[in-house]
Amino acid sequence: MTKTYEEINKKIENGEAVVVTAEEMINIVEQKGIKVAAEEIDVVTTGTFGAMCSSGAFLNFGDSDPPIKFEHLWLNGVHAYHGNAAVDCYIGVTRMNDKSPFEYGGGHVIEDLVSEKPIHLRGTSYTTDCYPKEEVDTYITLDDLNQAILCNPRNAYQRYNCAVNSSNRTLYTYMGKLLPNFGNATFSGAGCLNPLCNDPDYETIGIGTRIFLGGGIGYVIGEGTQHNPTKRLGSLFVKGNLKQMSANYLKGVNFEKYGTSIYIGLGIPIPILNENMARKTSIKDEDIKTEIVDYGIPRRKKPVLKEVNYKELKSGTIEIKGKKVKVSSLSSLFMARKIANELKIWIEKGKFFLNPPAERLPRETVFKPMKEVKTQKFVKDIKKQAIICHLNDSINNVARKIIEENENHVAIIDDDGILKGIVTSFDITRAIAENKKVLSEIITKKVITTTDDEPIDIAARKMRVNNINGLPVIDKYMRVIGLITSEELLLK
Amino acid sequence: MTIININIPVRIIDSIKDYAKIIQDVVKMNISFDILKFSTTPKGITLIIDVPSEKVSQINEAFKKEGIIVERKSTVCVDNELCIDCGACISLCPTGALHLKNNDELEFTKEKCIGCLICLDSCPRSAIKET
Ligand code: SF4
Ligand code: SF4
Repeated sequence: MTKTYEEINKKIENGEAVVVTAEEMINIVEQKGIKVAAEEIDVVTTGTFGAMCSSGAFLNFGDSDPPIKFEHLWLNGVHAYHGNAAVDCYIGVTRMNDKSPFEYGGGHVIEDLVSEKPIHLRGTSYTTDCYPKEEVDTYITLDDLNQAILCNPRNAYQRYNCAVNSSNRTLYTYMGKLLPNFGNATFSGAGCLNPLCNDPDYETIGIGTRIFLGGGIGYVIGEGTQHNPTKRLGSLFVKGNLKQMSANYLKGVNFEKYGTSIYIGLGIPIPILNENMARKTSIKDEDIKTEIVDYGIPRRKKPVLKEVNYKELKSGTIEIKGKKVKVSSLSSLFMARKIANELKIWIEKGKFFLNPPAERLPRETVFKPMKEVKTQKFVKDIKKQAIICHLNDSINNVARKIIEENENHVAIIDDDGILKGIVTSFDITRAIAENKKVLSEIITKKVITTTDDEPIDIAARKMRVNNINGLPVIDKYMRVIGLITSEELLLK
Repeated sequence: MTIININIPVRIIDSIKDYAKIIQDVVKMNISFDILKFSTTPKGITLIIDVPSEKVSQINEAFKKEGIIVERKSTVCVDNELCIDCGACISLCPTGALHLKNNDELEFTKEKCIGCLICLDSCPRSAIKET
């Protein structure tokens, strides 16, 4: 049995379409079987509500008098991209306010615009014969704009990683706050409600598909950037008219020590054209698998600890290395369900119709890493020999070594060559000032270290965050095999 | 009972013996208390303890004499207007004070909150505030 888009739309028009959410579809297929479900159900609605960092909005302000060609412009203190025509701009959600970064950003500007709040617009120009105005300082609202188009080059990821942290310090990431030593886990995505999970071969979702976007109507305009269908990591490029949207479904966010973004509500209706689509839309959380990834290793290829499914993720605890770990989502399941329900009501009330895609999304493309011309340097490429003293050495001895070798950092080891601490020339000065005699009284025992195969950027960040100038290089037995200091990093 | 947060800076504790001595001193005062959370940071040891309300000032005095930083612990509250039920705070909360209701909406149970403040900087909507 098959149905056409026309037949489904006719039913919607007559108020007869049977619409259910992707969660409800699971039970229907279980109870009635695929055949009956395909006959009875016309549309399955999906939804997702999570951080969409690629998002932004194109805005057009109209001409000032005399006209201005923006060179720089700010909306509520957030720098907008202005490398386009005179009074067009693109406000990106991760751009942060110049004065209060990490608190307010482009995502908040979009939320405030949609909430009808006045937005402070300030812009400057180098002036031309046709655009003589130098500066604009005004307040605008959404109504004052000619166009305001929400645009997300990468949205509605099919699934996402579950993040944990094996390192010994708390990490602040785009996957939220991750406690050390696998203290917690976070994930993203709505599982069985996720749009692309319900149409994993992109049979009905394609270019031109009409969707729910931010509480208004939007369209899929292509595959998303980093679309990776062969790994079941598809994504969508979507746009919609900001003027129809609602601030209930567009929320500016700020992740501590990471930056700002926006949460966007997106929902896609899936026409049940045949039994194949009935089967695909009955996908359960346990059938959607993703990977637990260690964000403690800040490299492109982060270690994958194990596979996990969305049923386990939604349960609140997962097991990692024999330990029960609390897991929670970053995207809102409550909102995803609300969106699927809202879209269901729109269709039931005859306010929203379905359309076949103008073109299908690519199913073969792969996602490539960045091409870097300079090869990545590692600690072993730039490290120098460490100056080493023994725990039992006298402070005098250490002081002499510092002068002889003209090196600020001395690694302190025990009989087995194991790193026990570090002493800097400052520690020695202080020891003299405070009349300390024993080395063990003045060494820093908690040493931040690095290893041979750590990229130098990571070593540099360790120094920056810890406000230190040198890192001993150690092997896996904690034996000192070198030293790098900010000097080597400068000369690299 | 009153929850207080004490911070023992590194310079005070050189070894675990020093820590034990501090605890012994408190025990000598004949005050019993529950340690709700024990964590070590580069800055020292942080303890969240639950002490009998009438002994709070006595215990504060004792700790302060040792150079230990004592703070009366507050709790947090969640601004429902700002909250988007994302769940980012939940996996961080050691007591389950922040949790999801059956319909996956966030619920905050104040009675369970020990004021550890781990959740405070995890909320992308800044909806969690110290009270
Ligand atoms: S302060 Fe601690 S106990 Fe209270 S809600 Fe936050 S994480 Fe939970
Ligand atoms: S992190 Fe903030 S917005 Fe998210 S559920 Fe917790 S309180 Fe609500």
